[in-house]
Amino acid sequence: LNAAPGRAPRQQVRFLPTPAADGSGAVELVAARVPVLADHPLVRGPRFRRLKIGAGHRLDVKSSGVFVLGIGHGNKLLTDLYNCHLTKVYTVGGLFGKATDDFSDTGKLIEKTTFDHVTREKLERILAVIQGTNQKALLMYSNIDMKTQEAYELAVKGLIRPMGKSPPIITAIRCLQFALPEFQLEIHCLHETQQYLRKMVHEIGLELKSSAVCTQVRRIRDGVFTLDDALPRTRWDLQSIREAIRNCQLKVETELEKTLG
Amino acid sequence: AMAGVVRRLLRRGLGVVAEPPSTRQLREAEEAAPVFQYAGKAAGRKDRVFVWGFSYSGALGVPSFVRPDAGWKKPRRIQPTPYRLETEEKISSAACGYGFTLLASNTRDITKVWGMGLNKDSQLGFQRSRRDQTKGYEYVLEPSPIPLPLDKPQQTRVLQVSCGRAHSLILTDSEGVFTMGNNSYGQCGRKVVEDEIYSGSHLIHQLKEFDSRVVQVVCGQDHSLFRTEKGTVYACGWGADGQTGLGHYNITSVPTKLHGDIAGVNIIQVSSCGDCCLAVSDEGDVFGWGNSEYLQLASVTETTQVNVPRHLPFKIGKVKEAACGGTGNVVLTEEGNVFVWGYGILGKGPNLIETAVPEMIPPRLFGWSDFSPDIRVAHVRCGLSQFAALTNRGELFVWGKNLRGCLGTGRMEDQYFPWRVTVPGEVVDVACGVDHMVSMVKSFT
Repeated sequence: LNAAPGRAPRQQVRFLPTPAADGSGAVELVAARVPVLADHPLVRGPRFRRLKIGAGHRLDVKSSGVFVLGIGHGNKLLTDLYNCHLTKVYTVGGLFGKATDDFSDTGKLIEKTTFDHVTREKLERILAVIQGTNQKALLMYSNIDMKTQEAYELAVKGLIRPMGKSPPIITAIRCLQFALPEFQLEIHCLHETQQYLRKMVHEIGLELKSSAVCTQVRRIRDGVFTLDDALPRTRWDLQSIREAIRNCQLKVETELEKTLG
Repeated sequence: AMAGVVRRLLRRGLGVVAEPPSTRQLREAEEAAPVFQYAGKAAGRKDRVFVWGFSYSGALGVPSFVRPDAGWKKPRRIQPTPYRLETEEKISSAACGYGFTLLASNTRDITKVWGMGLNKDSQLGFQRSRRDQTKGYEYVLEPSPIPLPLDKPQQTRVLQVSCGRAHSLILTDSEGVFTMGNNSYGQCGRKVVEDEIYSGSHLIHQLKEFDSRVVQVVCGQDHSLFRTEKGTVYACGWGADGQTGLGHYNITSVPTKLHGDIAGVNIIQVSSCGDCCLAVSDEGDVFGWGNSEYLQLASVTETTQVNVPRHLPFKIGKVKEAACGGTGNVVLTEEGNVFVWGYGILGKGPNLIETAVPEMIPPRLFGWSDFSPDIRVAHVRCGLSQFAALTNRGELFVWGKNLRGCLGTGRMEDQYFPWRVTVPGEVVDVACGVDHMVSMVKSFT
C-alpha cells in the first residue's frame, strides 16, 4: 500500500531570489510555485503505518463464511449497517444420533439415541413451527402497537422487523438436504450468535424425540454481502481488496438510503 | 534415598493427574456408549384436544379451574393459551355452544359423546347428580358421557355434533339426528310444549324424516339447519329474523325443506352461528338468508331480515367453504384466499369496521412469503365475534373480539388482523364458541 504512488506534494507560492535577467548582479524576487519540503516523502516517511480495521457481525472460531470488515473511514458505515438490522443467512449442517455438551460434534458426548424414526416430513413440520413462533416474536419485538392501522399495513407488506435490541429471531428456515443421519438447513436470522444456531439444531433433535449435533455453520450472506463478494484466502491481497471495496460501495449506499432514509 | 521414596509414595497417593484422552480413546468411548431409544420406528402421531377461553361455566372441561383440588391452586377464570384436555378416546368432532361444549368420537363403543359446561336446559342430556339421584347437574365441569337412546349402540357411529345457544344436535350415520335442550322455539324439531321445564329433562328427540341421509347439522342461536346427501337443506326453530329461510317469520317446530334460490341446487356446506345463515353449492356459489342488520346480505337487498335463501353474487372466484359469525361472515375460495364482510373486527386492521362487499385478507398475514409460497388457508371457522383460519401446514390463525380470552393468543386485547396461536401440534380442526374454543390437534412426531 505504501509503495503505491501517494498524493502529490502541496505546492506553495514563495518569492525566491533569482539573479536578474539582464545579468546586472542585482537580486530580484520572483514568485514561483515550489513543493513544500514538509511533504517530501523522505521527510514524511511511509504514509500508512497502522490501519484501523473494524469487524461487522461476529463469527466464532468453529464457523466459517462471510465476514465483513471495515477499513479506516469505512468503520462509520459499519455502525450504520448494524442499525439497519438486516438478516443474515447461514447453512447449518447437523447430524442425528448424538448429543454433546456444546452442541457441536467436537464436544463431550452426553447421550446417543436412535434416529430411524425421523423422516423429512417430521423435520419440515418442526421447521414450520419454528418459523411460526419466530414470526410471532418478530411482530412482538418490533415495538409497534398491534391495535393500530399502521401495524396492520406493515404486517401486510412484511416489513415489520425489530429495529432495536432483541433476542435472536429466525425469519425463515428450510431443509436443503436430508440424508439420515445428516441434514442441512438454511436459516435466515437476526441478532443471533452461532452458538444459538447450534442450540437450535440440538433442540430440533430433541423435538423429533432423538438428538442432534451441529457439524457446520457457514454464513453465506450478511446483509448485502454475499459469497460472491467475499474474498477467499487465496485472494487476500491489495488489488482484490481494492476491487471488492469499489464493487460494494454502490450496494451499501443504496441499502443504507433505503433503510435509514 | 528415603526422601526420594517418600516423594514417590506421596506423588502416587495424592492427585492422579490423568493425561487428556487421545482421539482413539474418545472414539472408543463413544462407540461403547449406550444408545437410548425415545420413539420407535413405527411411533404414530398422537391425537390431542386443546381448550382455551372462559372456564367458570365448565365449558373447558377442567374442574380444577373452577373448583381447585389443591389448597395452593387458585380458581382460573380464563385460560388465555391452549391447555391440553385429556380424553379417553380420540375425538373426531367437537362443537362449542354458549357456555357448553360437546365432544364426539366415531367409535363403536357405547359412550360416543361427552359434554361439559352449562346444562340448565339439558343441552347435555340428563347428568344424574351424585348427591340427589332424582336431580341433574346444572353445571358439568368434566367431560361426562351423554347417554343416547340408540337402537344399535354398538354399531352406530356419531359423525358430527353441533351446539347452539341452549340446544344441541348429534348426527349419527344410520339413526338420524338426536336433539336435546331448549325447545321453546321448536329448535329441537319437536312440537313446542307450553311451560315445559327443560332443566333436568330426560327427553332426547330423534329426527329421521328427511328426503335422504343427513350429512351435516348446524345450530344457529335458536334454530337448527340440516343438510342432506342430496344437497337439500331443512330448517326448524326461531324465525323472527328469517333464519329458517322458509318464507315466513314464525316459529317452525318440524324440520322443513328450504326453497328460494337454493331449490334444485346441490348444497355442499351450510354454516350459521347467530341469526344469519350461509350455504355453499357445489359450483362455488354462496347463498344467504336470515339477519342482515350488519350488512351481511346487503349486496342483494336493503331489508334487514331475509326469510328466503338468496344467491349472493360475489365475483371472488369459486367458493369452497363459508362460515357465518354473529355480525361478520368469512368465505374461503378454491385458490385459498380468505374474504370477509359484515360488521365488527373483520381482520383488516382497526379501520375496516363494516363492509357489504367481501374484502380479501392478504395471504402474507397467514404466513405466506417468498420463502414459503405454498402456504394456503385450508379451513375457516367463525365464533360469535371471532374468526379462525387453519392453514395447510396446521397453523391456527385467529382474529376478532377477544371476549374473556377466547382467542387463545395469551393477551386480553382484541386482535385486528390474523394472529398465530401457539399450539404444540398440527391443528386439524377448531370449534369456536362465544367465549371459548376447542381444537383437535395431532402431535408433531
